[in-house]
Amino acid sequence: MTRTGRWAAVALGVLLVVGVPVAIRAIPPSDPDVGAGELLAAVAGSEDHPWSGYVETEGALDLPVEDNFSDVGSLFGESTRMRAWWRGDDDWRVDRLLVAGETDLVHHSGLTIEWSYEGDRARLSRDPDIRLPRTADLVPPVLAERLLRDVDAGDVVRIDARRVAGVDAPGLRLEPTAPQASVDHVDLWADPETGVPLRIEVYAAGEPSPSFTTEFRDFSAATPATAATDFPAAPGIQVDHDDVLDIADAANQYAPLRPPDRVGGLAKSSTSDGAVGVYGVGLTQLIAIPMRDREADPLREQLGQTPGVRHLASGTAVSAGPLGVLLTGEDGDGGWLLAGTVTEDTLVEAAGDLARGTTYLQDDS
Amino acid sequence: MIRTEGLTKQYGRITAVDGIDLEVREGDVYGFLGANGSGKTTTVRMLLGLVLATSGSIEVLGRPMPASGRDVLPQIGSMVEGPAAYPQLSGRTNLALVDASGPGGGRRTRAGRIEDALARVGLDGVDKRPVRAYSLGMRQRLGLAAALLRTPRLLVLDEPTNGLDPQGIREIRRLLLDLNAAGTTVFLSSHLLAEIEQMCTRVGVLDRGRLVLQDELAHLQRPTGRMVVRTPDVAGVLGLFDGQVEGQDGDRLWIRVDDPATLNARLVGAGIRVAELAPEKRTLEEIVLEAAETSGDRR
Amino acid sequence: MIAVELRKLVLSRRTWVTILLIDALPTLVGILLAVTDLGPRPGTGPAFLSAVLTDGTLFPLAALAIVLPLFLPIAVAVTAGDAIAGEAQQGTLRYLLIRPVGRTRLLVAKLVSVMVFVVLTVLVVAATAYVVGVLLLGSEDATTGATSVSGSSLSTQELAGRTMLALAYAMLCMLGVAAIALFLSTVVTTPLAAALGTMGVLVTSTVLLTLDAADVLQPYLPTRYWLSFVDLFRDPILWRDVERGVLLQGVYVVVFLGAAWANFATKDITD
Repeated sequence: MTRTGRWAAVALGVLLVVGVPVAIRAIPPSDPDVGAGELLAAVAGSEDHPWSGYVETEGALDLPVEDNFSDVGSLFGESTRMRAWWRGDDDWRVDRLLVAGETDLVHHSGLTIEWSYEGDRARLSRDPDIRLPRTADLVPPVLAERLLRDVDAGDVVRIDARRVAGVDAPGLRLEPTAPQASVDHVDLWADPETGVPLRIEVYAAGEPSPSFTTEFRDFSAATPATAATDFPAAPGIQVDHDDVLDIADAANQYAPLRPPDRVGGLAKSSTSDGAVGVYGVGLTQLIAIPMRDREADPLREQLGQTPGVRHLASGTAVSAGPLGVLLTGEDGDGGWLLAGTVTEDTLVEAAGDLARGTTYLQDDS
Repeated sequence: MIRTEGLTKQYGRITAVDGIDLEVREGDVYGFLGANGSGKTTTVRMLLGLVLATSGSIEVLGRPMPASGRDVLPQIGSMVEGPAAYPQLSGRTNLALVDASGPGGGRRTRAGRIEDALARVGLDGVDKRPVRAYSLGMRQRLGLAAALLRTPRLLVLDEPTNGLDPQGIREIRRLLLDLNAAGTTVFLSSHLLAEIEQMCTRVGVLDRGRLVLQDELAHLQRPTGRMVVRTPDVAGVLGLFDGQVEGQDGDRLWIRVDDPATLNARLVGAGIRVAELAPEKRTLEEIVLEAAETSGDRR
Repeated sequence: MIAVELRKLVLSRRTWVTILLIDALPTLVGILLAVTDLGPRPGTGPAFLSAVLTDGTLFPLAALAIVLPLFLPIAVAVTAGDAIAGEAQQGTLRYLLIRPVGRTRLLVAKLVSVMVFVVLTVLVVAATAYVVGVLLLGSEDATTGATSVSGSSLSTQELAGRTMLALAYAMLCMLGVAAIALFLSTVVTTPLAAALGTMGVLVTSTVLLTLDAADVLQPYLPTRYWLSFVDLFRDPILWRDVERGVLLQGVYVVVFLGAAWANFATKDITD
């Protein structure tokens, strides 16, 4: 074989190795003939469908990193790799995969075990009414359930299908109608067989690329084995019991106050009956957490260092993509932490409503 | 043994070897002469399949090269551009690695072959020290030993006496002549005229990539048919051999004659005093320079 | 020819000095851990290192995680980069080729020799680390076994089996490095250039992996899946990245060996 012949053979090999996968990916996905309403119904009907798979999320939201909220910042601001087994709402396991370890959530009967390999500890907690977002909230089926609550066929349109985890998934676009919404639209692709959402993209107004993406890279609609959602703790692992899951849970349980029923034009959710208020529904939601000065101060400092921070009359405001954050009060004060997918005006208005409408409980002791 | 036709090698736009037709016959001690940079080494490398010719054909031991390298090369012992060895290993280990890396020869007879080769080049007494500690001459001998390891039919050697002392040079020359007498063809590439002149039966001269001369040494150095006469009576000689004197340089005269004895008798008869009388014989140096000049003119 | 190359490998003092140096780092780390009892903070430092304090039998894995990103690839790049260019620089290449040794055979023999070096190094590191781990850091009760990354328990057999898999995976990753270095070794004239070129490729790959803008390239970078051997210790094993890693390294090996062959088979040997 001549020199040219040999190099041609090598080049051909490279071309095959690189070209074949590219070519296969370039084949346009087939788009099943399904209407927007029909697809929405299928997605809504898949809420109890079991699944398992490998999920990657990609967040472009530049949130301040503060100890009490560190996970939230990385969940929305970085990419996260997860694998999950979902037998039902009350029987699932979601592993967050780290380069040299993992953090797992295993959920059974209203109880969640959080296993951290690097910390070498397991924490057991009941699922509180109110808590900060965690990995398991971001897998496409769970996120879709939250986003699509109270959405009907009139709010969605069909978009082109897309291949997700090897599935030719038809797509839906959802545009929020509420005037308070900061989300421009949400695109969602679902498994045509089961209706399980496979990929979700959240867009802020005026942004060409999604602020947040979550999608399956591997997906199976088969029911996972019972063993898959177990946490068979190795001997020597001590499981601690946590009464308080996170700062939102703590505030909700112990802060001696009750927020008003309606802020910024959004009604309080039925799940919120403590000191933390959750308002709105679906794409347009806002959470209000009362904070003491020793929690509010470091957060205020972090917010102050975030690019694009604005010091308003009602507090310190930051917005990242569709997510708005407002911390009321001044240095040395406690205050309300308001965060949600709402416009800044809504946050300011809500802050005013909270300042006026909050009732303080009598100290019984 | 070696035959090339129109052998050419171009490196980019530079032509290193330009259409040479070598012919080395069985039993020759072939001297391949050329200045540094004349294309000698490139030619040797092409003969051995290290460098691929741009055009032309090569036949070694009657087989095309480099296509038949697998069959031809085991019958060739060679040294190209100086010896080379793994410096951290001893000479014996180096030879053992060389022997083991190619075909032919069993593992059992290896030690014997190595001792034989070492003895031939005068390294049989060498100890276990690594090649790193060898002198230039010792390395040269080790390289030769590696070439002789397979008792080759053809030896292709590039400057084999490089780095040797006069005693060593004589030994190696003797060795090569002995091998040649025993039937080994020797292809010797060198820039040392004296070395070639003393050993070779056949000479090829390379000048700027062209083979400007290729002939039997004896034929090149045959008497020219002229006599050189040195005499204080220059005028007398000129008178006596008018028309036959072809050259003069001081008291030295070149005279074309058919029979030297008659010339001598006539000089003696004429009472001319002769300091020296000899047939003209050209040195290899003169031949080479002349050939190079002629080819340079042609260009 | 393979036997000859292996003999050269074993006879070379550099082989043993390199292995010793590579072995020294995890041993030092092990001793320091045992003396100070200070593990890295969770989430920092090489994989498995924080777990080693409670279970010394995991130390071979931690040692692998320590040497795999830098030391081992450097050693492989130097060794494989020396394969052809080193022989050429020494002048021994021409004598090998006119011995004659087929050029493709020479390449294969060199690759095998480099792989033997890798296997040898990895096994020496693992064995030393095991001894250091068990002697200095102690082992957990043999009946309970070790803890997987997912928090479940691994029997001693499972741990041993998965460790073997991880070692094999690391060796395969190094085979990819060796193929790149071998190719460069047939292109450049000095072994140093080949080794540096290979390191350049690896450093570029590592840098691009940290860059979001290089997202589209990342699945194809040679170092992308190197640390995926950690996935073998999750429960159940996460094969996804390991499979991709094996495939990717396979492609690198085939492509670069092909390129080495294409370049070397008729290369003019002029040194």
